[in-house]
Amino acid sequence: MNLGTRKLLDRSFTALGFGSIVIMGLALLVVLVPIVSNGLGAIVFRGTIEHRKLLYSEFRRGDANELEKEEALSNEYRQNVFTMLSAFENEMAQMDDAERDRYQASYDQVKGSLRALFGPVPGDTQPELTRFCYGQTRWDKAEEKLHNLLYEQKWDYSNPDVIAKPYDVSRATTFAGTSLVRLFPYVEQNLDKMLLPEWTFYWGFITDSSLDAHFFGGIWPEVQGTIFLAIGAMLFAFPLGVIAAVYFTEYARDGFLTSMLRSANSTLAGVPSIVFGLFGLAFFINTLHVSESKSVLAGSLTLAIMILPTIIRAAEEAILAVPKTYKEASLSLGSTKWNTIMTVILPAALPGILTGGVISLGRAAGETAPIIFTAAVSVGTAIGLGDVLSSPTPALSWNIYNLASEHEAAAEIRHVQYGMVLSLVMIVLLLNLSAIVLRARISKKLKG
Amino acid sequence: MNDDAASNQGRSSAFIVSAKKRKIQKITRKSGEATLLLIASFVAIVVLFIFWFVARDAVPFFRLRGFQEFFTSSEWYPADDPPQFGALAIIYGSLMITFGSALIAVPMGIIASICLSDILPFSVRQYVKPVIEMLAAIPSVAFGFFALVVFAPLLQNFGGPILMWTWWVIAAPFLLLAVIVASELLTASIARDSLKKPVRTVLAIALGTVALLFLYFIGHHLQGLVILSGTNALNVSIILSFMALPTIVSVSEDALQAVGRELREGSYALGATRAETIIKTVLPAASSGILAAVILGIMRALGETMVVWMASGNSSHIPDPFFNYLDSVRTLTATIAGDMGEADQVTGSARFHVLFAMGLLLLVVSFVSNLVSERIVVRQRKILSGQ
Repeated sequence: MNLGTRKLLDRSFTALGFGSIVIMGLALLVVLVPIVSNGLGAIVFRGTIEHRKLLYSEFRRGDANELEKEEALSNEYRQNVFTMLSAFENEMAQMDDAERDRYQASYDQVKGSLRALFGPVPGDTQPELTRFCYGQTRWDKAEEKLHNLLYEQKWDYSNPDVIAKPYDVSRATTFAGTSLVRLFPYVEQNLDKMLLPEWTFYWGFITDSSLDAHFFGGIWPEVQGTIFLAIGAMLFAFPLGVIAAVYFTEYARDGFLTSMLRSANSTLAGVPSIVFGLFGLAFFINTLHVSESKSVLAGSLTLAIMILPTIIRAAEEAILAVPKTYKEASLSLGSTKWNTIMTVILPAALPGILTGGVISLGRAAGETAPIIFTAAVSVGTAIGLGDVLSSPTPALSWNIYNLASEHEAAAEIRHVQYGMVLSLVMIVLLLNLSAIVLRARISKKLKG
Repeated sequence: MNDDAASNQGRSSAFIVSAKKRKIQKITRKSGEATLLLIASFVAIVVLFIFWFVARDAVPFFRLRGFQEFFTSSEWYPADDPPQFGALAIIYGSLMITFGSALIAVPMGIIASICLSDILPFSVRQYVKPVIEMLAAIPSVAFGFFALVVFAPLLQNFGGPILMWTWWVIAAPFLLLAVIVASELLTASIARDSLKKPVRTVLAIALGTVALLFLYFIGHHLQGLVILSGTNALNVSIILSFMALPTIVSVSEDALQAVGRELREGSYALGATRAETIIKTVLPAASSGILAAVILGIMRALGETMVVWMASGNSSHIPDPFFNYLDSVRTLTATIAGDMGEADQVTGSARFHVLFAMGLLLLVVSFVSNLVSERIVVRQRKILSGQ
């Protein structure tokens, strides 16, 4: 090969390296951007009057007088819609059966869409589920529902070889010639006056409890459950991990026992997370009976075992990074070994140990598989600190799965799911970021 | 003067320790050390306990149903009467997505780690490492959510074009390079310079046309693919590969760093380019460490639960044909997570214990591969330090 080709290959190799790094960065962006942008939508959005009604009647927040004024304003327009409905109902009563049947199904859909937009229509009994008590609280969702009102979705089965394709039929044509025709343009033009959207910063998304299986309200029970589980796991794992690291770095002599213990540590680090869940179920719940069934305690213990190897490794590294001179100076002053460890080595290694702890905290907060069988429930209210020993809790990681995969109306509450994912990712990434910053400061300090 | 002597005596007597006191000190030290050892061996006890308790609940399954059905049949109907517990398709699903993600993550991870350790300057590396750490820190359920809600619809609606563009972007530069190198190698034997250049150009154009046609036909075929469901083995493999990447990158970077400067400098001194140095000298020296990294990364993919549970489709069958990554699959981890809810009520039944049997299988595989990778790392360290 001549030199030119060799240089070309060398350059291409470099480009390949850069390419793979860039792809990793892009992957991070591709995952984070939709999560962040849609997740923020759970907190900052155009809230309608229904959102303010809901906040006032469920959480007693907001200005009653202001709300009354707004309600009067929107009812003015809504009343016209309801008048049109009753006019059409009168018209239907005079139709013959065949004609009425033709309209009935589509009219029911129209009424359903109106209920989705504005909440119960006059003549309805007060619904039992909270989700039916209010109309659309979010303007983006309201626009979707408006589309359902204006168009009927039909499926095209004409080509049997491909999956049926949906297409829209305007309801105005369905109801052509009846008095209901006027309703569609009226609602389309005046929807903003009936719902009064305004930009809302809903901080309660984090601190409110959820209403009616996350249709409304916030995610506080999940956030709290995640905090309890992660901190609980740290309470068990951190002291154990640091002490074990002290033993490995300061006391252990090279030999069969030590290499066995180290081997065990790396084995534990490699155990699949779902197996921790199985172990937690079989050991903590079915054998030790730490609680009747799932509980925060059992979940924390399981998570603690999972993060233990990480803490031990990080603490070991931090202790080994302490300059030998510190230790020698302390010992030469007549201090005992234990005293040296407690007063010289551990304080110097503390930032590094904390870094490992913080990263493990993030890992415990983000893991799902170990808590499925040991701690997590899908629905539940925030539990008190006194209940952690006996009761299970909802947790962010588990409920993201649950809402996205098993919720009866998963597509309706995407914004809640995104909000949850963003909260979890933020908790974990902020913990990691603080660890990175902490570590950068340590390395600067150690360099002097 | 006298006072001084007295105080000196007093001071020195503080250092004289009676035999009894020394004994007590020794006992405290020994017992303290023993306590530390006890706490440090906690991890080993936990590992033993995990094996014991998972195996304890797995054994009843094999006692009830034997080994043959579990490993050789792909009929998985645990709720039927009589139930069938053939896990072959599920084991195959696990292997399939693990292999798929390794196919993406291993080359990319090794190249990225080379780039990190040998190519990027230190100032840039400082900013790349946190990116990799963040990729590793994102919770698996967030990746799963992304796979299910963002990536699966994308794959379902635009799968063909996405695959075609990916093919072009990846294959075109490689083929271009291959054409250039091939035409140079094939004309190397021609002695006369005046003849060499035109022949090489003609050859390059001819090979280039063939390559272009090849690119086009494969791309066209990919574009025509219909993806029935976005939750399939391909989706999961891609997402899992990005979850395995950080492990592979960081461990193999350590292995590359462990190869000393001398080896690299020796190679440069012989006139090798950087790429040649890395491929012919550094990689062989670091190969065992990189192998360990690959094993660890693969284990991450095999043991992952949430992504596969959410986005693999969870249908327990061997895809047809067996390499069809556009089909949905089911894995061991997802089965354990998904079936426990129904099996929990009847603790003691085969349906409950079969999940522990799967857990035991995962545990044994992870244990063995961990041991292997550890041995490999230790051996590499010995070899490198011995030289």
